[in-house]
Amino acid sequence: MSSLREKVENFLYKEARLMDENRYMEWFELFADPCLYWLPANEEDYDPNKHASLFYGDRNIVNNHVIRLTEGKAFAQEPRSRMRRVVSNIEIEDGGEEISVHANFIINEIRKHEQRYHTGRTHYKLAPEGGSFKIKYKKSVLVSLDEMQENLTFLV
Amino acid sequence: MATSNGRAIDYDALVKPDAVHGDCYIDPDIFADELKKIYGRGWVYIGHQSEIPNAGDYVRKWIGLQPVIFSRDKAGKYHVLFNRCTHRGASICQHDKGNTGGFRCEYHGWFFRLDGALQAIPYVEGYGDNFDKAQHNLRRPARVDEYRGFVFASLSPTGIPLTQHISGPAQRQIDYACDLSPEGELVVQSGATKLAYNGNWKLQMENSIDGYHPNFTHQSFISTLERLTGSKVEIFSGHAKTQSRDLGMGCSNIDSRRANIEHPQAQARLKMMQGTSWGKKYYDDLVAAHGKERAEEVLIVNGTHMNVFPNLVVLAGQVRTIQPISTERTEVYLRPSLLKGVPDEVNTQRIRQYESFYTTVGGGIHDDVEMFNRVHEGLRCSQDPWLIFQRGLHREQTDNDGTIFSQGTDETAQRGMWRHWKSVMQQDANG
Repeated sequence: MSSLREKVENFLYKEARLMDENRYMEWFELFADPCLYWLPANEEDYDPNKHASLFYGDRNIVNNHVIRLTEGKAFAQEPRSRMRRVVSNIEIEDGGEEISVHANFIINEIRKHEQRYHTGRTHYKLAPEGGSFKIKYKKSVLVSLDEMQENLTFLV
Repeated sequence: MATSNGRAIDYDALVKPDAVHGDCYIDPDIFADELKKIYGRGWVYIGHQSEIPNAGDYVRKWIGLQPVIFSRDKAGKYHVLFNRCTHRGASICQHDKGNTGGFRCEYHGWFFRLDGALQAIPYVEGYGDNFDKAQHNLRRPARVDEYRGFVFASLSPTGIPLTQHISGPAQRQIDYACDLSPEGELVVQSGATKLAYNGNWKLQMENSIDGYHPNFTHQSFISTLERLTGSKVEIFSGHAKTQSRDLGMGCSNIDSRRANIEHPQAQARLKMMQGTSWGKKYYDDLVAAHGKERAEEVLIVNGTHMNVFPNLVVLAGQVRTIQPISTERTEVYLRPSLLKGVPDEVNTQRIRQYESFYTTVGGGIHDDVEMFNRVHEGLRCSQDPWLIFQRGLHREQTDNDGTIFSQGTDETAQRGMWRHWKSVMQQDANG
């Protein structure tokens, strides 16, 4: 019987692998219904109905996002980014019905021969389901959230 | 003939009525000349007054490459001040934005008020009895003016007034954006998308009013939109009623007025927006403020999609500033604009629509940026250095207000920008 930490780690590593390999639809299947996915811009926290985000959306909006990226005409991903990410500094609060998880990430991305690093910390709210989890809430706060950005059209 | 860095540049040969030479994007001497003649002399957009709503608020901005502070003093008046201590030249404002009682230069402690006045010098007796502090206030651009909250500055004490730089027809376009608010005011304080690309600043300006590219550059966005709505997106086709319009003085727009007003669903859309309690309240408040005819006109037209030369773009829900860095680099600030005095739901909808296209994660703007990087790469080819801006030249018409227009996918808007660019660049360097 694996511990909660092992289960959470396995889940986060799987999510990281799906994002690294541009497996958009499989990644989308990790989300619960309903769900919320949020990438804040400029500041770490604010009312997202009053301040624009890099991404803020419910299940429908996330679905549109992954469909757009998989339809083959998203030229900012033509050619696609190659990436591998490391997930670490995992802290877990067991709330029973809802597991709150914080984790750091470092993404190494190469596109058109240019290498970039994207780092940040993600807050997940996970719902236990069938020995694994579904993502009810994912908020990824990039360290560079207020900096000039070029292309974040892969999965963060 | 104009000269830059001691070199003669024949701008008339570089900008033809139907084509532009690649050097206009990649030649560092031309870039230096632009900083002198366009950004160092003419009207340049600074920011929107709502970015600094309260006494003590400030944001950092630029005029060309020169850093300025856009501040609001205790009496509520805004100022554009050079971000440079008058003592030994250090920048005095380090944060992109904030609220303060004044600016202290941390090098030797000189302290300036929010209006730029030099208030205090440490150990001031060291400057002798005849030292006049008032001679050392923060420097400011020669002229500052605004149109409906959009604040501009010019480093030249002489030249045309702002209301001439933004022509009457260009002002009417800005009015469409502002009059969507019952109070007639935009509010620009909902953050910014900050993006950078490898290439010249004019690539973003000419793209912002380009009605030819969306069906191609933005295929992924448009096909997703078509799948969601179940109907074909027609507004960017070669036979749409959308118009490419040269507003004069380098300002131009993609004009959707006719397309929207004559749209068969125009009245149905007005009815649909009143289908919620907040939509009904917004409609009623707008009618009360502007009268039924004007209110319905601005709702159907739905803002604008325009450039103000050289560095401002006003869209339906967005204010965009273009910041030149070099021939190799440009920074762009996209800021969602909200409407003053409307139900929260209206503004939340504006933010969600903005995010769907205009962030580096969202659905569209990064595909534009990808094209700017590709143009910049292509411009290294010297054999045929020309970029063709010929589309629709044979079918342009002059409208009653003196503006030139053509079909929406035509390059009338870009030709207007380049014609004005040439006339400015041909001016005498010593002005």
